[in-house]
Formats: sequence, C-alpha cells, structure tokens
Amino acid sequence: MSKGIVLDPTSQRLDNNESPGPDAGDLAGKRIGFRVDRMWRAWDWISEMWARKFEEAGVEVSFWRSAGRSGQEGERCAQEYEEFLSSIDIAVVGLANCGSCTGWTVRDAITAANAGLPTVAVATRNFETFAHEIAARGGRSGLRVHVLPYPLNEQRKDDVLPVGEAHFLPMLETMGAKISIGERVV
Amino acid sequence: MSIDLIRPRERAPRTESKPLISRDCGPEGCEVDWLASQRHEAVLDAEDFNDFALEMGWSDGLPLIPPTETRVRRFLAENDRYPDEVIAVLPGDIECTVEKMVINAVMAGAPASSLELLIAAIRSVADTDFELYGVNTTTAPVFPAFIVNGAVRDALGIPYSYGCFGGAATKSVAMGRAIRLIMRNIAGHVAGGTSQTTFGSPGRIAGVLSGEWEERSPWAPLAQRRAGIEGNAVTSFGAMGTMNVIDSTSHGAVDFLEMTGKSMAYPGCNCFSGLVPFGEMLIAINPIWAEIIGKEMSNIEDVQECLWRHASLDADRFQRLHREELEKQERVRADGRVYLTPEPKDIIVFVAGGLGGLHATGFHTFGTSLSQTMAIASATPA
Repeated sequence: MSKGIVLDPTSQRLDNNESPGPDAGDLAGKRIGFRVDRMWRAWDWISEMWARKFEEAGVEVSFWRSAGRSGQEGERCAQEYEEFLSSIDIAVVGLANCGSCTGWTVRDAITAANAGLPTVAVATRNFETFAHEIAARGGRSGLRVHVLPYPLNEQRKDDVLPVGEAHFLPMLETMGAKISIGERVV
Repeated sequence: MSIDLIRPRERAPRTESKPLISRDCGPEGCEVDWLASQRHEAVLDAEDFNDFALEMGWSDGLPLIPPTETRVRRFLAENDRYPDEVIAVLPGDIECTVEKMVINAVMAGAPASSLELLIAAIRSVADTDFELYGVNTTTAPVFPAFIVNGAVRDALGIPYSYGCFGGAATKSVAMGRAIRLIMRNIAGHVAGGTSQTTFGSPGRIAGVLSGEWEERSPWAPLAQRRAGIEGNAVTSFGAMGTMNVIDSTSHGAVDFLEMTGKSMAYPGCNCFSGLVPFGEMLIAINPIWAEIIGKEMSNIEDVQECLWRHASLDADRFQRLHREELEKQERVRADGRVYLTPEPKDIIVFVAGGLGGLHATGFHTFGTSLSQTMAIASATPA
C-alpha cells in the first residue's frame, strides 16, 4: 500500500456573499419588475396575479421576458435586462422550474442582487436545493428564494391560481416587504 | 414573438496566436513551486485511489490515474504553457487554469501531446454563444461533442472512420474523458448536483471526440467552412446523443438527404420544443454517401438546403397544445410546416464514419447552445 501526494482537480470560486441583500421594505410608490420567460405558463399566470395585487396596492409593475441567451438574441437580451434592472426598485425573478431555467433564473437574480436591488428568485420545490447550489456557485449563497409547489406547470390554470393566491403573502415575507391591502398593512 | 434567427455575436476573429512560453522548468525555474492546487495524501494503489477519488467527488466512476505531482509536472514539461494561465472562465465565474486541466487530463490518461486540443475544446465551450451555463444545468442529457479537423487528427489518433463516435480503441477516448472530467471538476457538470439532467447520457463519460474524414469529403473541411480555419481546429456542439439513420434503398443525393432530413424531424426533439426558441442540428454523413451526394451537389449549401427542407413537420403533426405554442412563437411557416432549424445554414454537416456506409448520424441540439469552431495551437518550444 503506497501513499503519495495527489493534486486536487477541482476549482471553486473563493468569494461568497452570504447576504440576502436589502429588504424590499414598504412597497408603496416603488417599482417592482417581474422577470418571466417563454417557458412556464404557470409562472405567467402567477406573476400576472401578483402584479395585479401589487398595482392595487399602489406599486408600479413592469415585466421583462427572457428569450434565447446566445448569439445576437442573447446580446439583445443581456442589454434589455440591464435596462430593465435600471428601471425598477425590486426584482422578482422566475421561474426556476427546470435545469437550465433554474440556472438562468438564478443567474439573472444574482445580477439583480449584485446591482443592489432587493431580489427574490422564485423556484418550484423540486429545484429549491439546486437553486441554492447554483446561487452559491455564483457567489451569492444568501440569495432569497421563494418556493412554489411542484409540479406546477403541469396543472391547469384553475389549479395554479389558488397556488399564486396562497403564496402571495409568503412571497412578500421572503422579499422582506410591507404592503397595504385595503386597511391592512402586511 | 417572431421566428428567431441564429446570428452569432459580433466578435474579434477567433484565430489567436499562441504566446511563446518557455518549456524549461529547469534548475532555477523549478525552485519555485508553481503548482497551486491543494495537495492531498492518498493511497495510490488503483482500488484505494479510486475509492478516494469517488469520496472526494472527483470521479466519474471509472478508474482514474492518481494525479501525482510527478505526473502533472511531466505532462506540463512536455508542453509550453505556464500552469497558472487561465484558459477559460467557466460557469460560476470559475477560472479554468492549465494546471487544473492537466490534473484532470492526467487522471483520464490523456497524452501530454493533447493539451492544445483540450485547451481549444475548453475555450470553444466557454464561448458565451455555446451557453455552457444552460448545457451544464439542464434536465436534458446534453454533452459537448467535438469534431476535429487537420493533421492533428492523425497525430493524436483521433478516429474519423469506423467507430469514430464510440468504439474505436484510441487515446481519443482518454482525451474525451479528460474534457468530461474538466466539465465535472471545474465547470460543475455533476448530475444531481449542479446538473439536473433527468437521465444523463453515456456521452457524459468520455464524450464524442471524432475527426472529420476530410480526405473523403467532397466539400471543404468543417472548420474551414464555419470559421475559415485551415488546418487544426475543433468544433464543439451541444449534443443530445447520437441518432442513427439507415438507408439501404436510396440511389441519389436527393434521396439520401430526404431520408436523413425527414428522420431528424420528430415531434419530441428539443428543436421543436416550446422551451427552445432556436437551435442547430449536426449531421454526419458517411464517406460513401458523401461521394454520391458530392457528385450531384458540389456546394455544401445545397446539401444543407435539401436536408433543411426535409427536416420539418407539418404543423398538424403536433398535438394541439404544442402546436399552439409553436404558433405563438411564429414558428409555423407560410407552408404550414415547422422547420427543425431557423435556416439551412443551421444544419451543420460533416463527413465521417466507416466505409460500410448505409448510415448517417444526427446530433440534436439541446437548445440555444450554438456550436463553436476554434483553432488548435501548435506547441512551440522556446
């Protein structure tokens, strides 16, 4: 049995930001931006529902839709996203509901968080651990991730909307936000 | 939404000159320890080391050669690269240095003479347009496949004839595995961890590292056609695996291409997925068919056009929800068909395979990962 020294074949990044970033705080008068994609209709339905609730509470809402991330379209997307981030105060980024889309959701969320915006990445349960792993690999292990049930996109709209309803307040909690709903502040 | 066309990013020419680096780590130079990797004490016997490597998360499951300092230094000494040279920045903004590449190449059993090929391969997949970020994380079974042009094919024993996509007993397998280990240990392509691949693929063990049989091709070599590179070059493609087409019946060019094109277009391939706005297709034509096709079609663009026309489906072939999604993306053309790729140029064709003919091989894309062609530098002693 001969012992010897071997060299480590792996590489890791050495920096890590464990901070979740700033709380969203009181949302009144602020601008929330939803990052959506071309993939998940369930995320379209939920983000549209949440947008209506925000607007009713006096929050300005905008959307940006991710598309192909390579070639000229990728360049266009990157530029659009940068402009989108500069036009909002808070980012809600989704949906992490597959491998590559979790990768891009988290990457876009990290970009938003690194720009100093209160940021929430939205993932489905199956991709929660993965989202945290990719966030850590991207140097933001503290990234806020709100988790929706899984499977989700396979459900019909009538089944998805109650999920969105049930998750609105918990998502606000993840965001560190306060919002006025009618007479109530939550 | 509209039909997305594939246009590469604007960028500087890909061919880059190789910096002149001394290969001499001689008496003075070697006094400095330029290997920065963490050292681990390990039992070096085969079984024990492999258990150790599995435990450390370094292994793909097959036996590995322990990357001792002696082996790593010997590999480096046969090349002209400083170990701390950063070859690429891989997903997670992780630097891939020559040293890390060599350690993985040693573990895989790749020859020292393959370093420049490995470097070109890694640089090609690190290009933003290859979208390695998606390739690594996806639920799909995708892995980068590599097609090599130039004299380096024979110098390194990279097969382009019988069994070139798997089965040919050459060191190409070890080189392919070295790339896979680099993907795993540096780029973070680990199933169930940083990769969500549902099924994976045998291609994730040693990959596909094949040559083009350019001497039997009636058309210019792939790298020359794609990037104007004459000589040694590698083309990377995010492949979902290999798909066989057999045709023992056709006679002429159009017949072979129709059969091949139609076979590539099936409703469940990623190119037709609503998740994928655009994608490419890689097709290998065997040398026998290539000769027949080349006699009728001396322009490769005509071959691509013919394949593309047939690599399409009538929109009615898709189940309603899928069809609606494709309609929303404006992918249903005026002729009522959905095409595998946006344009004929996105069907990438090369010649390889044994002289038994009869087959074509298709490599479907996983998504918007765009193939890349990169020149392979030659080692220049100082």
